[in-house]
Amino acid sequence: MTPAIRSRGWLALPYLTVYLLVFVAPLLYFFVISFWRVRLFRLMPDASLANYAKTLEAHSVSLIFTFEIAFTIAVIVTTLAFVFAYVVRFKAGRYGTPLLFVVLIALFGGYLTKIYVWKTILGQAGVINSALGLLGIVNEPITFLLYNPVAVVITLSHYTLPLAILPIYGALRSIEDMPLRAARDLGASRFRVVWDVVLPQCRVGILIAFSLCLIFAAGDFVTPLLIGGPYTSMIGKLIQLQFGFHGDAAMGSAMAFTVIGICLVVIFMVGTLIFTVFRVR
Amino acid sequence: MSDLPTILLRLFAVVIVVFMLTPLLVLVLFCFSERSLVTFPITGFTLDWFEKLFERPAFWDALQNSLIVTGTVGVVSTLLGTSAAMVLARIRSRYVGPIMLLIMLPIMLPPLVLGVALLTYFSTVEVRLGLFTVILAHIVFTQPFVILIVQARMIGFDYRIVHGARDLGASHLKAFVTVTFPIIRPTIIGAAMVAMALSVDDFIVTFFTIGGGNTLPTFLWGMLRMDVNPTINIVAMLIMLLTVVVSLVALRVTRWRG
Repeated sequence: MTPAIRSRGWLALPYLTVYLLVFVAPLLYFFVISFWRVRLFRLMPDASLANYAKTLEAHSVSLIFTFEIAFTIAVIVTTLAFVFAYVVRFKAGRYGTPLLFVVLIALFGGYLTKIYVWKTILGQAGVINSALGLLGIVNEPITFLLYNPVAVVITLSHYTLPLAILPIYGALRSIEDMPLRAARDLGASRFRVVWDVVLPQCRVGILIAFSLCLIFAAGDFVTPLLIGGPYTSMIGKLIQLQFGFHGDAAMGSAMAFTVIGICLVVIFMVGTLIFTVFRVR
Repeated sequence: MSDLPTILLRLFAVVIVVFMLTPLLVLVLFCFSERSLVTFPITGFTLDWFEKLFERPAFWDALQNSLIVTGTVGVVSTLLGTSAAMVLARIRSRYVGPIMLLIMLPIMLPPLVLGVALLTYFSTVEVRLGLFTVILAHIVFTQPFVILIVQARMIGFDYRIVHGARDLGASHLKAFVTVTFPIIRPTIIGAAMVAMALSVDDFIVTFFTIGGGNTLPTFLWGMLRMDVNPTINIVAMLIMLLTVVVSLVALRVTRWRG
């Protein structure tokens, strides 16, 4: 590095200023208030773990339910994403590029838009019901499609799938064909090649995909609100309520960091599992 | 020739493509349906719902706000991110990994957490919520993408030509404007487009940082909670169209690189 180049580190200053003032400072403050309390709608400095204790006590059912759903979504989506990325990379030939193109289109397309569309598709007077009725398959509309955990899983899976495919595909792209062919020639079954050669080389991509899905699903509040119905009490919905007019921001903060903490623990455990099972030999 | 497992795998890929795209196509279809319910059968097609929506001043306000936010975020985020990536790309140390992790942090949090943290912070330091705070918030979560994209391009950059320009007497700025920028322009435009696509689509962070007023996604949210009428379809489709078009432009200019 020449001195002329090093002296231009100031170029990063505007970015650093925004990062510190609009990201680090808010996040630190938000963390600190999780140890405060709210009196008469005002935050009061304190140093207590009461909010965390209350989170675990009053919202344990909701936390467990949230992570059951988020974990289910993350496992399903990561698996589907791996198989799809595998087909794009190894089995699709010249259709690989168009398939990837579809993923990129689906990646955008609007967050709220997608949730809304699923609501209309699954609804009682919705697309599926009216289509089934028209075809004479059902006489009465099916009511169990919307407002339940399965609808939440479908909607969030649809949203996170493109997000999960990209990192896995990125990891698969750097795998060379030769060792795979060699393994086949030496008598390894297709499954063994995937298990022993392909998977160990893309485990970082798989873990990234899993983490993205888990974090996103665990922290979402719009899908449970619009799709989940009254009995789908996911924690995001409860966190969001703490920031309304009668909310308790300190409590909301403790709930948010509890969710982040659990996410980190789950990701660490799943990461350990993936790295032990898929060892590079 | 393909054997059975390969055929099954390809069939799987087709099913996934159908799963990913059908909802979006269903939405476009029902934008033109003349019935006031989103149900089959479609008895006829009409543009009336577009007219109904365009009559509402609130829609134009939301669209205008969205354009202001997205335009500003596109410019500012790209400027800040590109200059930071320039510095970052030249750091050769073992700290690059951890630094990248810190840069990515804003997008590794659930958007809900970023939104409520900013809301709490802004109301404590008494910054009035409005488009300004939305823009600040959007800059924070679009920055990682810009930096990632531009930095990836700069890693393989041949600095000898810049040194050549400098040796021939060009200032740093002139060397950047006349040499570096034209070479990496597609990447920078691509990064700006990605930032804009993310910004125009964002609902969660905007919801907490806007105070009053609406962007297109928060306008859609308001409609979802109150009306049941097909103009919702059109707002939803417009958001989808904006993000898809912007990201297609990004792909086109970068030609799949970066």
